[in-house]
Amino acid sequence: MAEEPPTRQAIGRTSATEQDPITSDEFRFWLPPDTIVNPFDIVVVDQVSQPGHPPSKTYGLVTSLEHRTDAPNDLANFISSNFGELSEEPNTPRQGTTVAFVNVLSNTADIYMPVPSERLVYFADPEGIQQALGTDTLLRDRPHDAIPAGLIKMSNGASAVAYLDRRYVLGPESAHVNISGISGLATKTSYAMFLIQSILQRASDPEKIAVIILNVKQADLLQIDRRPDQPLPPEQMELWEALGLEPQPFQNVRYLLPRGHNGQANSYPPVPTIHTLYAYDLEGTADKLDLLFSNVADPSGTMEGIYGEIMAGITGHDAEFRDVQSWGALLEFLRRKQSEGGRWRGMFAGSSIGAFRRHLRRIVQTRQTGIFVDSRSRNEKLLSSELVNIKGGYIYVVDIAKMADDEQTLVFGDILRTVYAVKAEEAEDRTEQAPVPEKVIIFVDELNKYAPGGPKASPITQQVLDVAERGRSLGVILISAQQFMSAVHDRVTGNCATKILGRTGSAEVMQPDYRFLEQDLKMAVTRLVKGELLVSHPVYRQPVKVIFPLPAYQQEQG
Amino acid sequence: MPNPLASITPVLELLGNHLKILPATGGAVEELQHPDIDEIEDALLNRETGEITDFAETPTPSPANLYRPTPPLFRPEKHLFRFFIDGSLRTYYLATGIEGQRSFPIQLAQIGAAVMERDDQGLVRCLKSEHKVLLLVPTGAHGLSDTVWQQLERLRTPDGFFEPVDITKKTPLTPREPTEDDLRNRAGGIARHRMHQLEIDLVKETDSRRNEDSWLILDGAVKLDDFIRAPYLIGVAKSFRKDPEFRFGRGRATGRLDITSILAGLEFAHRTVAFSAHDGKVAFWYVRLRPQKELDYPLMGVVKVELPRPDGTPVDSDLADLLSRALVAERNVTPYGQDRRWHCHLYPIFLAEQTIKNRFYSQQVLLGAIRWPRPTATP
Repeated sequence: MAEEPPTRQAIGRTSATEQDPITSDEFRFWLPPDTIVNPFDIVVVDQVSQPGHPPSKTYGLVTSLEHRTDAPNDLANFISSNFGELSEEPNTPRQGTTVAFVNVLSNTADIYMPVPSERLVYFADPEGIQQALGTDTLLRDRPHDAIPAGLIKMSNGASAVAYLDRRYVLGPESAHVNISGISGLATKTSYAMFLIQSILQRASDPEKIAVIILNVKQADLLQIDRRPDQPLPPEQMELWEALGLEPQPFQNVRYLLPRGHNGQANSYPPVPTIHTLYAYDLEGTADKLDLLFSNVADPSGTMEGIYGEIMAGITGHDAEFRDVQSWGALLEFLRRKQSEGGRWRGMFAGSSIGAFRRHLRRIVQTRQTGIFVDSRSRNEKLLSSELVNIKGGYIYVVDIAKMADDEQTLVFGDILRTVYAVKAEEAEDRTEQAPVPEKVIIFVDELNKYAPGGPKASPITQQVLDVAERGRSLGVILISAQQFMSAVHDRVTGNCATKILGRTGSAEVMQPDYRFLEQDLKMAVTRLVKGELLVSHPVYRQPVKVIFPLPAYQQEQG
Repeated sequence: MPNPLASITPVLELLGNHLKILPATGGAVEELQHPDIDEIEDALLNRETGEITDFAETPTPSPANLYRPTPPLFRPEKHLFRFFIDGSLRTYYLATGIEGQRSFPIQLAQIGAAVMERDDQGLVRCLKSEHKVLLLVPTGAHGLSDTVWQQLERLRTPDGFFEPVDITKKTPLTPREPTEDDLRNRAGGIARHRMHQLEIDLVKETDSRRNEDSWLILDGAVKLDDFIRAPYLIGVAKSFRKDPEFRFGRGRATGRLDITSILAGLEFAHRTVAFSAHDGKVAFWYVRLRPQKELDYPLMGVVKVELPRPDGTPVDSDLADLLSRALVAERNVTPYGQDRRWHCHLYPIFLAEQTIKNRFYSQQVLLGAIRWPRPTATP
């Protein structure tokens, strides 16, 4: 589970000065020469305790390091090099020390007095790291709720597992996970898949958890139930083992692939042999027309009014829509209304109908990828019909990689709406006898496409907000990812209790969305390398840096 | 945590009970050191060498050429100076004591010395340091009665940390008889003398490790009560008396030079030839550590080097060159911005000074310990 350092050796002494006192929240320590300490190392110092008790321990997280010398200014160093002589090495190097800045994480006796000066500082041992993070009680009292979220590697070679508290990931205390970081490091999706694997492996009730995964890129997630052709490298196997997890592919996976123009799956190869095609006919989409128009600018609300009339007309079996049974029929219906003159239903001018029709035609006819059909064949299912029968213990991979943006929005909104309905109320058309899963985890990448920031929430954004704000109580959990957290609606990210950060640009990390990070840690985020992530979790008093293993399923590189 | 200077409490009680005390404003006032104290000290210790007439170098230099080039010899090439000793002191005026008809200053001094060792990577660490607290009071006609003094002496701590010192004693730094007017300055001289004694004691710490490849630099002069006889040691003075005259040759060929003229002609990374002092028991010369063009004044950037010659023999030119070359290399780094004597300060010596100063108790700690007993009301 964790690796002990060879010996316990002091790495410095705490230091308080006139100018820089030690406080309840922070302390500093100087390092002897040749001692290596890095940001995110967790250290421990002896602290006072109540009379008759052994000394308590104060744990802290190293946030940054500085090297200080006795030179009062750069000119002193210039002069010390014989007035700018580059070739001369100093006979006596200037006195200097590296000072580590530490944020207090916890004290074992809940004593938050400032740590005294001159105290020896040590690297925390694995057990101490759990105390520092506040997960020691989790491991002691509710070990089944401890979800491995990565491995903390310290500069002294010691390591410890960073655990998430399930009650803060899947509810009821808090919920949702958001993953940010620049693209190209293959980290965000891999981490989400690792986390899902970890949740499922550690769950005592995996049969009560269903997972819906949206595949947005290539065939990345279309073989998650296949063992990799090449076995994982030994160091990756060791990482899985260190985390207490089995390196295994997912089980009970169902692939839901979009229909293409040719009636076959519109997915990047290799296409899973066993899969279900889904498509949208008008009948199955009538109640989701709003989602189709999520990306259409509608400042006056005209579009919203028109699709509202259509949705109500079709689903309410309005006589005017009796012959409107297909997308083609709907477009023809709209053409007629446009050319009839006057205002349709006294509200919508012909020009507005025309604009609506043009958008609809573009989405479902001219620019569509084959997903919209006038009538579904027997093997083409409605996505909502499949998901309304969602079963615990199953993973549903919904491929949207090749679809147009409007189609992707429809699919994601359809998933959210269906799952929300299944969990919130008794779904009338659910035929599955198995109980509705207690938890439904939905993983989606590129969340910024569906819930962008801004004052006006589109139908899809509203749907995401619903899940983010009320999903916790229903057991609908969002694991989302995007490049820039600042591009996502702040009510969505604000409701994600656990935030995972990969390497992020310095401009992005200065956005207000990263207020939860201290300045030093913001800079550290810009230096993260591939495979390193920062985990901010409600149980932790400070974010921690972790590494995690590669997925143990077949991955296709596009 | 008890006050580390608590050992002076009974001393104050003793004095308060036997003397009338007029405390200093604020409890204690730090005596600021004279800005040219090193120069004054050099003048005192070398008062017999106001006129220099002999060389102390072999082969004997020519009066026509008093300079020798000493290009820097850096540590990686030859690590010659490995030990460095310096001392420091802080003196505080505590009160005026009145016993009978005699009034006199009561002063306290913190003195310390440290020997630093430099390893082959150039890193410096403290090999040993000493720290003492002295109560400086006069006795006899100018101060305490014998009765009080004897009681005071009984309060010295067994570890030698605290010690009462009679400032009427003569030392090389207080060579004259005491007078009522100079008691306060005299206390400073006495404290400095004791500080130098600590420095000389620390030389012993390096005895077994000094050799021809491993020398020690002592800050200041090599003569105190007596000449330091330890081998492989030089004294390097940052400030030195500016009034000696140099006179070489005989009869009409006699040339007179003052030190300013000599040092103005001393180029960067050069030394003067070695001169004789104290009847040949000390060879001394000057080394320019920094180019004159970078400094304000010709005498800046020059150090005075003293080499004990207990047997009175002159120093070999090659040895003086070697020592000087290694010394020129010590110019990097410098405490520029931290010490006004940066241009002639040696950084390891500066570090020794900092080591001691950082171990001194602060004025706040001192003031916390200064609690004169309240005078009892007379009926």
